[in-house]
Amino acid sequence: MNISPTNLSPISSEIMPARMSYREALAAAMREALTRHDHTVIIGQGATDFKGIFGTITGLHREFPGRVIETPLSEDAATGVCIGAALNGLYPINTHIRADFGLLAINQLVNMAAKQKYMFGGLFSVPMMVRLVIGRSWGQGAQHSQSLQSLFAHIPGLVVLMPSTPESIVRSYAHAVAHHAGPVLVLEHRLMYELVFDTAMHPPVTNPFGSHIQRVGKDVTIVATSIMVLEALRASANLARYGIDCEIIDLHSISHPDREMIMTSVAKTGKLLVADTSWLAYGVAAEVCRIVAESDPGVLKAPVVTLGMAPAPCPTAKALEDLYYPNLRDLMSAIVRLVRGADDPAIEMPSEHSMSDFYKKFRGPF
Amino acid sequence: MIAGVARYKEMFRQALRIRLVEEKIIELYPSDKIQSPVHLSIGQEAVAVGVCEHLRREDLVFITYRGHAFYLAKGGSMPQMMAELYGRRNGMSQGKAGSMHLAAPDVGVMGASAVVGSTISVAVGAALAARLKKKDQISVVCYGDGATEQGTYHEALNFASLYQLPCLFLCENNGLAVHATLAERQSYKIAEHARVYGLETIRIEDGWDFTKVGDVCGEVLKAIRGDGRPRVIEVLTCRYKEHVGPGEDYAAGYRSHAEVQAWMAKDPLCTDTALVQALRPALDAEIDEAVAFAEAGAMPGIDDLLTDVL
Ligand SMILES: Cc1ncc(C[n+]2csc(CCOP(=O)(O)OP(=O)(O)O)c2C)c(N)n1
Ligand SMILES: [Mg+2]
Repeated sequence: MNISPTNLSPISSEIMPARMSYREALAAAMREALTRHDHTVIIGQGATDFKGIFGTITGLHREFPGRVIETPLSEDAATGVCIGAALNGLYPINTHIRADFGLLAINQLVNMAAKQKYMFGGLFSVPMMVRLVIGRSWGQGAQHSQSLQSLFAHIPGLVVLMPSTPESIVRSYAHAVAHHAGPVLVLEHRLMYELVFDTAMHPPVTNPFGSHIQRVGKDVTIVATSIMVLEALRASANLARYGIDCEIIDLHSISHPDREMIMTSVAKTGKLLVADTSWLAYGVAAEVCRIVAESDPGVLKAPVVTLGMAPAPCPTAKALEDLYYPNLRDLMSAIVRLVRGADDPAIEMPSEHSMSDFYKKFRGPF
Repeated sequence: MIAGVARYKEMFRQALRIRLVEEKIIELYPSDKIQSPVHLSIGQEAVAVGVCEHLRREDLVFITYRGHAFYLAKGGSMPQMMAELYGRRNGMSQGKAGSMHLAAPDVGVMGASAVVGSTISVAVGAALAARLKKKDQISVVCYGDGATEQGTYHEALNFASLYQLPCLFLCENNGLAVHATLAERQSYKIAEHARVYGLETIRIEDGWDFTKVGDVCGEVLKAIRGDGRPRVIEVLTCRYKEHVGPGEDYAAGYRSHAEVQAWMAKDPLCTDTALVQALRPALDAEIDEAVAFAEAGAMPGIDDLLTDVL
């Protein structure tokens, strides 16, 4: 797989305006895929309904007749259908309104899609995309909130991405459809959908399937995924006022993280904090630690710190959910302790205790 | 006849009780006190009330995220349910479950799953245990029309039929899965299809009529208790509200409002306003008490976060 930087042409302002929401970027990426590539189809439950996968494909079934396909409640078979269609010339984009429902597709994804190329010595390829939306807040509970990136990234043959900005959506989805002849799983975070980004504020994406440096700093390396990238940016902005200078790596490519980028950064800062949207054990946090431990653990000047969900299924009650996920205060204190070696009473900590309240720009559960 | 009237009144009371609880949820929802996705059963109460009329306490029902009606009809505690919706410690699962995962094992309500179709085979497994442990018990699994599209449904029907297990497959066919109609999703007829597995299958069209549902279910459950063999009941019913949430979404255009109104015109809870008036005060009082119980509940805290994981 090509994970080295490619020469990317500029994105037209029509596709990516200066201000754009995460949802608008997804909508632009879907429309681009259908417009530019005749063999692209979108398949999923609710693909043709008025909500259009949270507004990312609304109305496309009318604009592209026959190419946006509703499916019965049959994730397993629908995934197989996508694989077969991919084997025979289509580029299917399969949507799941919750990543949890992707678990019903796991046999097809893991035993079939991921293996078609290798198992037959390169005779086949399965170019397709699976969009999985991570739910959070308003009582998503144990079965509508799982962040399953590491489960999928464990499997050779799958590319697993977690875009955290409109540009990384526009770039990586276009790259997947046009240049990657294999299964790509993208995990989108529902809480980010209605967030509006000032696209110029984020450094340009140079590698669509790679990791991105979101902030340059010297005191600590924060490797973050998805919404935790935004949270790390917020924490860093607060801490910059106290002279703490964070470097933030948006891991983005969960299956193929940029080892060199991580090592260069950690060699510079000597300190590593990993902030993931999921459980820590056997996950992204563990994998980033593996990279450092295997490459050059000697660069670390302090033990690694990791932040993620509590080691339990997600509780429904808001009071518990707010404890289940780390909040801004948890992240800031962890950074301060890592950089300063102890809490620093001079640093004012935010009183906010629910991260979802800050990011969520829609009411209700879905 | 007196018995008939008394029975009608009691079933009506139960159905109304469920509807009023959900109407209270609708009333409370804008306050954000209930931060749990709610899939309301309003319009579908007669199914739960009809089936539960003939279930014993020890019979099991496996329910779905749209589970308020079955939970209450089977005898689940209303205050504990309300507290669970409020995310309080005095909810039956201390706030870990919320509306989508109601359960009350003491009265046979097995936990609701929010992954469509995922309890169907589990109910068959419970029926297997009942058989092997020689329990006089029926395992009922409730699922929507959409769930029949999952492969696991077909596998479970085959399994139950192969081993002739004492379970009732109960399909609540409201014609919709989220916003998609049956015609957009199914190439088969649910009842007809189930017969392919050699299962006796009955279809009830008047799903608004709790006594009718009760009559049919009574016969079918009696048959299951008699020979221990699985059966399928499909009940046509009607969801009045949006798929999830407290509102109505007829304006979205995916369904016919007129059809729902035609259904309401037959629904005793809508037409028998005199009986509603008569029964309402006592039910309202019970519901207010349940809400007060919920509001008085403590919030779960850090000590609860990691309990019951292993
Ligand atoms: C496996 C799975 N796929 C998709 C969903 C999203 N979803 C929730 S309810 C629902 C519709 C289910 O329809 P039906 O079985 O008819 O039950 P109803 O909601 O009508 O009671 C869908 C698609 C889910 N929860 N689980
Ligand atoms: Mg339905």
